[in-house]
Amino acid sequence: MKLNIEGLLVYFPYDYIYPEQYSYMLELKRTLDAKGHGVLEMPSGTGKTISLLSLIVAYQKAYPLEVTKLIYCSRTVPEIEKVVEELRKLMEFYTKETGEKNNFLALALSSRKNLCIHPEVSSLRFGKEVDGKCHSLTASYIRAQHHSNPSQPVCRFYEEFDAVGRQVPIPSGIYNLDDLKDFGRKKGWCPYYLARYSILHANIVVYSYHYLLDPKIADLVSKELAKKSVVVFDEAHNIDNVCIDSMSVNITRRTLDRCQTNVDTLQNTIQRIKETDAAKLREEYRRLVEGLKEANVARETDIYLSNPVLPDEVLQEAIPGSIRTAEHFVGFLKRFLEYLKARLRIHHVVQESSPQFLKDIYEKVCIDRKPLRFCAERLRSLLRTLEIADIADFSPITLISHFATLVSTYSKGFTIIIEPFEDKTPTIANPVLHFSCMDPSIAIKPVFERFQSVVITSGTLSPLDIYPRILDFRPVTMASFTMTLARTCLCPLIVGRGNDQVAMSSKFETREDFAVIRNYGNLLLEMSAIVPDGIVAFFTSYVYMENIVASWYEQGILENIQRNKLIFIETPDAAETSMALEKYQEACENGRGAILLSVARGKVSEGIDFVHHFGRAVIMFGVPYVYTQSRILKARLEYLRDQFQIRENDFLTFDAMRHAAQCVGRAIRGKTDYGLMIFADKRYARADKRGKLPRWIQEHISDGSLNLTIDETVQLSKHFLRQMAQPFRREDQLGLSLLTLEQLQSEEMLEKISQIAQQA
Amino acid sequence: MDEEPERAKRWEGGYERTWEVLKEDESGSLKATVEDILFQAKRKRVFESHGQVRLGMMRHLYVVIDSSRTMEDQDLKPNRLTSTLKLMEFFVEEYFDQNPIIGNVLLFEINTFFYICFDAGNPKKHVAALKKAVGSTCLGEPSLYNALNIAMQTLKHMPGHTSREILIIFSSLTTCDPANIYELIKTLKELKIRVSVIGLSAEVRVCTILTRETGGSYNVILDESHFKELLMLHVKPPPASSSSECSLIRMGFPQHIIASVSDQDAKPSFSMSHLESVDEGPGLTLGGYYCPQCRAKYTELPVECKVCGLTLVSAPHLARSFHHLFPLDAFQESPLEEHTGDRFCQACQGELKDKSVFTCPACSSVFCTECDLFIHDTLHCCPACIHTQGAS
Repeated sequence: MKLNIEGLLVYFPYDYIYPEQYSYMLELKRTLDAKGHGVLEMPSGTGKTISLLSLIVAYQKAYPLEVTKLIYCSRTVPEIEKVVEELRKLMEFYTKETGEKNNFLALALSSRKNLCIHPEVSSLRFGKEVDGKCHSLTASYIRAQHHSNPSQPVCRFYEEFDAVGRQVPIPSGIYNLDDLKDFGRKKGWCPYYLARYSILHANIVVYSYHYLLDPKIADLVSKELAKKSVVVFDEAHNIDNVCIDSMSVNITRRTLDRCQTNVDTLQNTIQRIKETDAAKLREEYRRLVEGLKEANVARETDIYLSNPVLPDEVLQEAIPGSIRTAEHFVGFLKRFLEYLKARLRIHHVVQESSPQFLKDIYEKVCIDRKPLRFCAERLRSLLRTLEIADIADFSPITLISHFATLVSTYSKGFTIIIEPFEDKTPTIANPVLHFSCMDPSIAIKPVFERFQSVVITSGTLSPLDIYPRILDFRPVTMASFTMTLARTCLCPLIVGRGNDQVAMSSKFETREDFAVIRNYGNLLLEMSAIVPDGIVAFFTSYVYMENIVASWYEQGILENIQRNKLIFIETPDAAETSMALEKYQEACENGRGAILLSVARGKVSEGIDFVHHFGRAVIMFGVPYVYTQSRILKARLEYLRDQFQIRENDFLTFDAMRHAAQCVGRAIRGKTDYGLMIFADKRYARADKRGKLPRWIQEHISDGSLNLTIDETVQLSKHFLRQMAQPFRREDQLGLSLLTLEQLQSEEMLEKISQIAQQA
Repeated sequence: MDEEPERAKRWEGGYERTWEVLKEDESGSLKATVEDILFQAKRKRVFESHGQVRLGMMRHLYVVIDSSRTMEDQDLKPNRLTSTLKLMEFFVEEYFDQNPIIGNVLLFEINTFFYICFDAGNPKKHVAALKKAVGSTCLGEPSLYNALNIAMQTLKHMPGHTSREILIIFSSLTTCDPANIYELIKTLKELKIRVSVIGLSAEVRVCTILTRETGGSYNVILDESHFKELLMLHVKPPPASSSSECSLIRMGFPQHIIASVSDQDAKPSFSMSHLESVDEGPGLTLGGYYCPQCRAKYTELPVECKVCGLTLVSAPHLARSFHHLFPLDAFQESPLEEHTGDRFCQACQGELKDKSVFTCPACSSVFCTECDLFIHDTLHCCPACIHTQGAS
């Protein structure tokens, strides 16, 4: 269907449209018009992706000079693939409607592991191995050696690509990962490098967050992307954590030991080279004197995305003399390493800021701030000069050098915490140095500054106003959309009491309470008897889950539950979990019914959808607060309070509720789907908690569904499930939650649509 | 169900939100909604008739009733089992009434494989067996696989021109199967056995697939009256699949011969159909239906002759089955105010009092709601039309 969105002709590849999609496109268009950033919340399963794509593609076609590129960031490979498929549908529709051949180039980019077609390399199992092996076949000096010594193996796909690939642009079209591989095989070109090269002139790029947010990768992949791009972060409810993770460094004793080996290798190599090829080192020295002028020029002319690990000062200055020669630098690294080792040899917790750390290091081992700041850059240069093939081996020392640069660059926003042991095992010494980023805006700042429009979108972003605050940007649009429904297919219930009227809550004081555990057990037992097929239950943590399940076992509750459904448990081990998940789905499929016990913030709660019968009910046992005793968290809360005026409690509740919403949102993946959402904690009934749930869930919580007892819950659920089992056809939706073009154009409907979006 | 002693305490049961249905009108009175509800209740009708479709008139229907733990649930009064059996009695009667040619209802329970009845063609026996089952206790988990397997073993041997159907009353939400049920579904599909499910609690995935694959229907009840309605949907023969075989069937139309006691030649004799049943006395009678082919005697029709295998029916049976093929068109509903003419129902001659009247599209006679129901549910022909035909 062809839509007119405030004067923009949008091709929409389906015959019907949801009203909220229309509304979403309106808001998105306004964001693009204003060349600003936006925060948009729309429930999952309402066609967010296709609305985004349709509108932005239409915008690109209408104003090719205003918006040149769409960068679509998603979380996982399956999600990336899904986006590409939607895009393909859209493009086919374009071709059909306009009759002309499309000159759009869209492609997905993923790691080497997913794109490699080299027979030996691609058979490796781990991403790191693939990267390392690839590097050892494609590094420039390896290839140089190959020229003189043909027996030196190189990757023929890369060679081929390097020889001709850059001159001939990839033909326009839509490429997912498999298409790229096929194309690569056909031409004999390396798909990974082809994709990396092609994103520069592609119209649409679909890849993972890390390619933009992680400074180490962003520098390689994304720095040349055009300024007039639109960046979309999908499923972005956790974006602050991704930012923080990408900037934080954890150093353990093991890391340091491996660093030591690295340093030794470096030293030996330098020694050897010095004997054979001293000119090379001298050449490097000369280059370093010249400074990083080139990089500076590039940044000034605005070709590159700035790299937060490479601060401006570094670019303007030459590398200081003390670390300019290779030996001096290795000596410097050794001293630094020894210092870190000494710091880890402690018996009590230390928390300090970056300036404190710098002062201490200066006093102890006389390392100045300035050389530290150049550490990362200097190491990279050294590794290049020494022609070290397997970069993967040098990851510990690279990590340390990043740490050195970051700690000396940022005096604010980071904290250093050294813990002699883990909280769970206070007797086992396992010292860790956390260099923790507390300010997510540091990592994402270059993105906001560089690109014209950045859109953050997800199914659960409530409360909307907190994201601009913690990410430190100024959005032009903030909107939350509800789900228009022909039937109320979600049923949020807040269970506060057991049948014995004992309040249910996972709060710390009542956590071990026998009555609470028993009531939680009864709730699950009762639900297992009346909910068909799959139930997913979320606990607040692994420890809590273990305690409760053990206690249920003793009370015989598990045995009773197993008469109704099989029980599967998520564990921290990924392989075990995916096995459990597979069996869970099988049990749902053949009618036996199953319960999956899992953990909020775990793998299951984030990436896995439980459509239709795989999740007829989600039970959230307790409020999934993050472990508040952690020092890193405490430091971050303090920082948030001081810098952004966000109260600790507000942030904790916000964080807990977004995870709770993520968990229960797993059950509803579309308008034909239905599911119960059971919040088993009396604290959910409070306005401050409830008010932080996404609007599309909040709407359906009536006063009648607050603070229920277990048997009230059972009655309501039974009624709901019977209602939902009645036949539901597409005709029932038409005109209400599904519109044809004519219906969309009616005045009345436009009036209704304008109410869907709620501006924050 | 009213006469049933209510075993469950009211407070143990679910909330019946009766107040939610009622709405006040402008003057604050509830009268309008109450009347509306009563009216709606009277007029639940089954209505999309298929028109000219080939229907599978000869049916073999296997009814499987879940008797697992969940049947003890008291959300149907007094509990699911009793309520279901009660409705089944009604269903069996209705079934034989509407499908008189050959109806096989075979009942048994799933988990214990305890057969209630395995006899064809005789509603009385089914009803008796159902009555007997009322008090039985329900235990354990059901197995959909086993139930389907047993039903399939029997239905497999039914001739190809008859419809093979399984109706499952499924109360549980889980099934403990000894093997992969999807294999069985495939076999059922190949054998053209249609499986329908009526769920008593919620939608179960495997049932959705089972019914979709085999072409049956899947419904979940809302309450007792909805349950009854859903059961009644299965009384009507389903459209025959185009691939099913066609064959001509030999049928006998025996006359009922009543031997007068005074007749000296008359000797009491056994009915062939009663030979095997032990519990019903000697079954010696004087008169009966005699098979035109082999002279075997039967006291009841319709039946398949035990001796020569001829299908024995009476002409009215055949005629009754026909109405499915030529369903009576739905009468046009119009508000009473718009109706001009006599204020009397053509059928019962009572005064038209309800909100709507019903007009036969063929002869434009006017009927009241109750007569409309009676005509469509029981008579299957318009009395006024017949009257005019007879007169002309």
